Amino acid sequence: MDKINVLIIEDTLAQSDTLVHALEENNYAVVGVATTLTEALSLFYSSQKVDLVIIDIFLHGVPDGIAFAETINAVPNASKPFVFLTSSTDRQIFERAKLTQPFSYLLKPFNELELLYAIEMAVEKFYAQQDVFFGDEEDTVISEEYLFIKKGKSLKKVQITDIIYIEVEEKYCNIITEKEKFVILISLTKILKLLDNTIFCRTHRNYIANLEKIEEIILADNLILLSGNHKVTLSDTYKDIVKRMRTLR
Amino acid sequence: MNVRGHFHVFLCFFLISVAFYAQEKETTSYFDNEVKRVSNGYLKESAFAKAHTYFLQKEWDSTLVYSMEQLTTNVDDKALKDLCLFFRGYAFKEKGLLNESKTAFLGISEDFTFYNQVKLKLGTILLEEQDYKNALTYFKEIEQYSTDELLGIQKDNIEENIGLCYMHLEQFDKAESYLNRSIALKEARKDTLSLIGSYGNIANLYYVQYKDTLAIPYFEKAYTLSKGIKHFPSKSDATFNMAIVEENRENMAAALMYRKEYEQWKDSLNDQNKVYEVAQMEKEFAVKQKQKEVSLLEAENKIKEAQKDGLLYSSIILLALLGTGVYFYREKVKTNKIIVAQKENLDELNATKDKLFSIVSHDLRSSVHALKASNSDLVDHLEAKNLEKVNTLLHSNSAIVNGAYNLLDNLLNWALLQTKQSYFEITELRLFFIVEQVAHNYKALLLEKKIHLENAVLKSDKVYADQESLKIILRNIIDNAIKFSNPEDTIKIYTQATREGYCDLVIEDTGIGMSEATRQNLLKETIVTSEKENKEIIGSGLGMQLCKSMIKKNHGEFFIESTLGKGTKMIVSLAKIAPNG
Repeated sequence: MDKINVLIIEDTLAQSDTLVHALEENNYAVVGVATTLTEALSLFYSSQKVDLVIIDIFLHGVPDGIAFAETINAVPNASKPFVFLTSSTDRQIFERAKLTQPFSYLLKPFNELELLYAIEMAVEKFYAQQDVFFGDEEDTVISEEYLFIKKGKSLKKVQITDIIYIEVEEKYCNIITEKEKFVILISLTKILKLLDNTIFCRTHRNYIANLEKIEEIILADNLILLSGNHKVTLSDTYKDIVKRMRTLR
Repeated sequence: MNVRGHFHVFLCFFLISVAFYAQEKETTSYFDNEVKRVSNGYLKESAFAKAHTYFLQKEWDSTLVYSMEQLTTNVDDKALKDLCLFFRGYAFKEKGLLNESKTAFLGISEDFTFYNQVKLKLGTILLEEQDYKNALTYFKEIEQYSTDELLGIQKDNIEENIGLCYMHLEQFDKAESYLNRSIALKEARKDTLSLIGSYGNIANLYYVQYKDTLAIPYFEKAYTLSKGIKHFPSKSDATFNMAIVEENRENMAAALMYRKEYEQWKDSLNDQNKVYEVAQMEKEFAVKQKQKEVSLLEAENKIKEAQKDGLLYSSIILLALLGTGVYFYREKVKTNKIIVAQKENLDELNATKDKLFSIVSHDLRSSVHALKASNSDLVDHLEAKNLEKVNTLLHSNSAIVNGAYNLLDNLLNWALLQTKQSYFEITELRLFFIVEQVAHNYKALLLEKKIHLENAVLKSDKVYADQESLKIILRNIIDNAIKFSNPEDTIKIYTQATREGYCDLVIEDTGIGMSEATRQNLLKETIVTSEKENKEIIGSGLGMQLCKSMIKKNHGEFFIESTLGKGTKMIVSLAKIAPNG
């Protein structure tokens, strides 16, 4: 599991320091602090992967924060979740900021809990999977690239391509990657719906395997051997998978 | 006697016929010229012109028709009307329709040119109707005029008629003298026709007085004269009189002869049918005129109807205008009322605001003053390196600053709420996290005051509210709860469902509580709480008012349950279902 990379756009040093401190305290990785719009854009589009942006609406007295959000929203696939940070309760600014959907905001002064809440809210809204982190039933938001998992007070991410297979146990899912193994809270139907079904396939009532990690299929034993010496059961119901394998290879 | 009585009555008809005839003949030339002269001015009226022409030609029926036409079409000119009426009277008289004639003559005004003629005619009519007294008055009125002044009326005719009147009034002496004078004049004029009548009259006068010897020669004279003329009425009258005379003399053979002769003359005279026909025509014409009048009235009615309609519409329009006027007036009054009410409201708000200002500034001033004093103490203690004292002072300073900050924060939010500048969006919120976030700020304070705060709200509790205003509400309530709690007390935050569709968020403390009066006071709609129960604990009451306003704005409700000395329950009731729109 990796830390979430956060880009901060904030022109007041005291504010950005507080933010960096609070974020790092909660296991977020701050990839940079931009103080202007151009700086922010160059940092955002640089090689380092940014997962989330915290944007102060007013940069040096002008609402460049909104301009930034509008810019990154212009390219849908490159866009990332963002949180507006503002001390202004000015309705007009809010109305304009609100146009950059999805809209999450954090009012200054804020405390640590409010910051974390706003970040989680932004992720949920951005990936259109609301009410994940705040209920008791689920704790994972699935994007195309990552699983965002709530661990304690903060969020973690796991690259989906790293997953070898998923073992479903009632409402839990055991995620097995090459490096680690952990449990997330998500329903089977939801995970099946959200994962790319050209890569992830159900092999058994309780298993979902990453097709790209399959090393061998032993039909006699109803077994699939995966990389890292992992094994999953292949039940009769899902034997169609073999055909797909052939066509794939 | 009986026979004579009968004779008497008959006589009256006979006599009138004579008087009339004589007059008519005499006037012709002179009178006709006068009529022509007077009528000349009106000949442009076609109906009148025709009536006039026929009058002169003695075509009485046509005269009646055209004079009536003239009267119905144009009667504006009095003289013209009089002329028409005169023609009619004359014509009716000629036709023997006495009543119609009298009506026509009586309609003529006194300044009419031929008024003397009119009087004569009226007199004659009255005489024929046996109203001798009135007839006599008319005749007496014109007796004094000379023949010239009377436009060709022969004086002897008038005297004859007066004589007749006197005779019928049984003043025989006067009658005799008038009749004799008339006869003398007539004999002088050699007017045979009139003389027959006059002889008859005087004969009658003597006869009714039983002076038969005087009467009979006159009767015979009349009869002899009548033989020489071709005037049937005169012939028949003279013959009839002779027949009566011979009857009374018991000379029946002569009487029978006279009777037969009388019958002969009478037959040629009798043309009553013609008279009837004229009356019929007259009637038809009158009906036509009536018809015309009816259609005219109908047309008038139509016009009136149209006018009535017009009146109705115009009154409706006026009414509508009036209605609109009244409406606008009432609107104006209403607006004025609203303005007055608003003014009062504004005045009140302004007064409240002023009061709020004074309290807030006083509180802030106290806080800042306390800080100032504390800071100089700090400097002293720092110089003396009394670090423990410094620490406590710093703590108290931070408490003061916190209080002042909260006050300022509320003030700002209040201002934003009043000016409606703040961003407000009702969304679905999980109460648990909101409570957590707000309570997070009080961790240090709670620890210091050794107060235990428990968030027992379920993660599944959701309400519809605006996040920021809900946070402000909670901040104020928790702040108050801490303020009014003693060390080791507990503040518990939980939810309960007492109303359908609503979720009650309860902030319960075990602090000092409040009296019923204070509770009521807090729920009042005024900004400033009048009295403070606990003087050591500062506060303007602004926080509570802000809470109430914001709860209201979130479509929620606010309740307080409290027991003095035991603790307080602040209940914020919020909607669980999205409000409409």
